[in-house]
Amino acid sequence: MRVSLEWLKDYVDIDLDPQELAERLTMAGTAVEGVERLGGGLEGLLVGRVLEVRPHPDADRLSVCKVDFGGQGVEIVCGAPNVRPGMLAPVAPPGVRLPDGSAIGEVTIRGVSSHGMLLSERELGISDEAAGIMELEGDLEPGASLARALEIEDTVLVLEITPNRPDCLCMLGIAREVSALTGAPLRKPSFVLREIDPPAAEDVLVEILDPDLCSRYCARLIEGLTIGASPWWMRRRLRAAGVRPINNVVDITNYVMLELGQPLHAFDYELVTDGHIIVRRASAGERMVTLDGVERALSTDELLICDPKGPVALAGVMGGEHTEINAGTTRVLLESAHFDPANIMRTSRTLGLSSEASYRFERGVDPSGCARAADRAAFLMDELAGGKVRRGVVDARAREISSSRLTLRVERAARFIGIPLREQDARAILESLELKVKESRCGEQGTVLEVEVPTFRPDLEREIDLVEEIARIYGYDRVPSTLPSSAHKVGMLTPGQKCRREAARVLAGLGLSEAVTVSFISERWLDRLDPSRAVFPEDPVRLRNPLSEDGAVLRPSLLPGLLEALRFNVNRRLSDVSLFEMGRAFLPLAGEAQPREPLLVACAMTGNWVPKQWDGAAQPVDFFTVKGVLERLAAALHVPGLTLVREELPFLHPSQSCRVRVGEASAGYLGLLHPRVCDEVDLPRNTAVMEIEFAPLEEAREEPYYREVPRHPALHMDLAVVVGEEVDAEELEEAIREAGGELLYEVRLFDLYRGEQLGEGKKSLAFNLVFCAMDRTLTDEEARKYFDRIVKALGAGFGARLRA
Amino acid sequence: MTSDETRGDDPGMREIELLREEAEAALAGAGSSADLEEARVNLLGRKGRLTALLQGIKDLPPDKKRMVGMQANLLKDWLEKALEERGEELRRRELDAELRAEKVDVTLPGRHLPFGTRHLVSAIIEEIEDIFIGMGYRVAEGPEVELDYYNFEALNTPHWHPSKSLQDTFYVDASASGREDVLLRTHTSPVQIRVMEATTPPLYVIAPGKAYRHDVPDATHSPMFHQVEGLAVDEGITLGDLKGTLEHFARRMFGEDRAVRFRPHFFPFTEPSAEVDVSCVICGGEGCRVCKGTGWLEILGAGMVDPNVFGYVGYDTEKFSGFAFGMGVERIAMLKYGIPDIRYLFDNDLRFLAQF
Ligand SMILES: [Zn+2]
Repeated sequence: MRVSLEWLKDYVDIDLDPQELAERLTMAGTAVEGVERLGGGLEGLLVGRVLEVRPHPDADRLSVCKVDFGGQGVEIVCGAPNVRPGMLAPVAPPGVRLPDGSAIGEVTIRGVSSHGMLLSERELGISDEAAGIMELEGDLEPGASLARALEIEDTVLVLEITPNRPDCLCMLGIAREVSALTGAPLRKPSFVLREIDPPAAEDVLVEILDPDLCSRYCARLIEGLTIGASPWWMRRRLRAAGVRPINNVVDITNYVMLELGQPLHAFDYELVTDGHIIVRRASAGERMVTLDGVERALSTDELLICDPKGPVALAGVMGGEHTEINAGTTRVLLESAHFDPANIMRTSRTLGLSSEASYRFERGVDPSGCARAADRAAFLMDELAGGKVRRGVVDARAREISSSRLTLRVERAARFIGIPLREQDARAILESLELKVKESRCGEQGTVLEVEVPTFRPDLEREIDLVEEIARIYGYDRVPSTLPSSAHKVGMLTPGQKCRREAARVLAGLGLSEAVTVSFISERWLDRLDPSRAVFPEDPVRLRNPLSEDGAVLRPSLLPGLLEALRFNVNRRLSDVSLFEMGRAFLPLAGEAQPREPLLVACAMTGNWVPKQWDGAAQPVDFFTVKGVLERLAAALHVPGLTLVREELPFLHPSQSCRVRVGEASAGYLGLLHPRVCDEVDLPRNTAVMEIEFAPLEEAREEPYYREVPRHPALHMDLAVVVGEEVDAEELEEAIREAGGELLYEVRLFDLYRGEQLGEGKKSLAFNLVFCAMDRTLTDEEARKYFDRIVKALGAGFGARLRA
Repeated sequence: MTSDETRGDDPGMREIELLREEAEAALAGAGSSADLEEARVNLLGRKGRLTALLQGIKDLPPDKKRMVGMQANLLKDWLEKALEERGEELRRRELDAELRAEKVDVTLPGRHLPFGTRHLVSAIIEEIEDIFIGMGYRVAEGPEVELDYYNFEALNTPHWHPSKSLQDTFYVDASASGREDVLLRTHTSPVQIRVMEATTPPLYVIAPGKAYRHDVPDATHSPMFHQVEGLAVDEGITLGDLKGTLEHFARRMFGEDRAVRFRPHFFPFTEPSAEVDVSCVICGGEGCRVCKGTGWLEILGAGMVDPNVFGYVGYDTEKFSGFAFGMGVERIAMLKYGIPDIRYLFDNDLRFLAQF
């Protein structure tokens, strides 16, 4: 909403400068998005009077004018067809610049010198009108400043009106706010309407067939009009408000809408059959051509204004082309009606058509304001367009919408806001907004005010709405800041939330950077990773209205997003990338509206884990890098029961692919990305990934409990055994632990060796064993006994022999 | 008898004197530990000259024995001590030389140790969480795929509200369950409803998480973003409490010297409602491009919980009041760190991630 301050001052005195006013309005809920100053760039331009006009001796289309702009007349060559002696027009003397920056000099046009320029509205930068020079109105002195003469210097506040305040979509509404904030009295427009007989009702009939969508329809008949341009002041105000002037009748309907908030429509009376208005729903498939020249197919959801022959307007949205005001219009049927907001919004959305009128109707126009607005417009048509107003408003009321009553408990409002508030303070605020306090009583709950809410405030429906008005006008900035005093506040994270934070910190500490990827992915990713849908759901959760097919599926896994992120970096020549993400995935649940949303943690790593350094080799990512990450994570979170089990997953390297288990349950997977997938998505072959669900991990956490630290010297012994390739390191380690008994404190695999001397299909694994007792220093003999037992057990279990 | 006489005259004493002079010269002349060791062997070794002299004392006549013996032992004590001192000095010098030879270029880069970073969005969410945990709040969560009821209806949003359209909200295909009211939550506010359904007041919670809107990505819009929602319901909660709480938050988040202002606004699920601005982090309130010349940056929407919302969850509006607020994490990140384009947050470019 654009508010001209020059205009606003018709309704309320304003002592504040525009910035201060903007600040006050903003702090009362009417946010000022901008303050524009109009009328700049006219410095040096003057009012001129054309004294004489004679044809140019050498050019048919040009004339030579003698123009007085404060001195004796000078000659100016002009090409405008409308120039005539006696007219007042804007003139640019030589040496002045036009608003577009071009300079005016003394020029000679076909042998005649021109000492200045007469200007059109377009050249002044105030409209697109360029057909002729601008004609100035009123009692103006030649040589006067043009800017002053046009009263064009103005400030426009650009306001953001929240959807609950339809009453603020007009000058009077804003003036009411200003009045409430500054205490300056509100001046409503006053006028005396002259009417002529016979009454309008003799020539106009209004029928409302669908009263649910139209509560009231007021019509007036104005005759004897002469269509022409509106006076300058009205055009200027319309332009300041962002509305294009058209002709006096249409401009008046727009002017009154901007002034009072009531959208109006003017029909050419002669084109409305029998002067008979019928308000009804469209029939299915009915068509009409709107003012913008578009033929529209309608449904029974749309409300029409019709005459006996068919539609003449799309109610509340746009008039029809057929009954439009035209240059020959002399009689006008003026509509001022109230339509159902939800229906207008629906129509406007369905047809993709919105207007100043629909914008106001869909937010809610004052149902009591119809007649007054019709009177105001009729008055202006009389004043400015020579109209004669036929007696009376043809007022069809389908339903009565009357003002409502609310109660306000003053002490409760004070407590709720947190301010001291006396009855008279509350009363003053309410009355400044034209809410009437009808009664005040003292009840159990203190002072109660009975408040009558005018119909222009449809947003005030409950006591809380009045509390808001009190707080708003009192000023949020004056409300003292406090903190809730309750003792029932214990701020903390749940163990699960702490665990997740810890996990993220551990992963970052291990060198992985946290990524956040978008939750919707392309289904192609699932086809690529898991064509037979062995892992991911066959029917993933889909969006009904995705932005594109690339984001049509809600991710069942974080992997696609992370792989995209790896590729983003690799494509930018950042080849060593290790990322992790924590987030929800979406898995359909049969029969449920909402999917399961497990929280997952996933890692994807490629390139080198440790880059090549000046004195060291690079360490490329492989299966064991990501396995190490998982082991660190499990250790840091105290999840002892986490194991890897060989299982071929479709998107993992078939021999480096594992299921991650917590206890017996699967929690995710880990492995090297399948080379097929790497090739397809342009990632290096050494890309390793893991993904696990958080919930089982959290559940399997064990609070650490003190384990005795040996205080007596320990014995370190190395054990290297040769076994067949098929033997797993983990099996060997378990067998060692079992045979080593409780004196075996620690086992660590430190070497893996294959070589010719070991023989085909053999490998050597070397373990460091630490023996100790908690109560004494172990002797070599004791340790040796267990060592031998271990060797024997490995021999029996795995055919292991000691490596020479 | 003077000592000079005894020394000068007696051949035994003269030899001791000579040995001392020689030893002094050898010690002074030793340039390395090895030289010094050679000198020691010469004098004190098994075949050393002082050793020999000492061994010869027992053959001297008794009257000489005492004097020569005493002087020889004095010489020995002196020599051992001098060798020790000189040796210490030489070793120190040698170690020093050795260390100087181990010169490295200290400007070479340090050893590469793994380092990763938290995502800026997560870091900011944690920061917000910690500020509110400090004020007695707990952290709540809710589903990202929501029902219309929680996302709109119970938040007092009229059924015809434009934000529910297919142009504004992502809808999830739930045709298998025969429903059309399943959507990606457009804000984290539905968590308010879920928390209130599950708990009775007093309650103080914040709910961080993802939210989604049907926006084509550009510099300031992303179809996925993060919000932090807050809710406090208790007896006697006031608008002043909301102000105090958010002022405290804004100053902790953006700096103690930030000004904070509350502008009345409109939201369907709060009444009265406010938008909260902090003085511009770039210009400090003077007005600049980032704050569009106003000196203020909008960071929060807030208000007192609308009684209709309490109605949906069955709270007694006469007994309890409450406030709610919501903020965009990306917006805070962009303002605080001067990030010009929201999409940078989701590219996951390492050169971006490593900065925070
Ligand atoms: Zn700024």
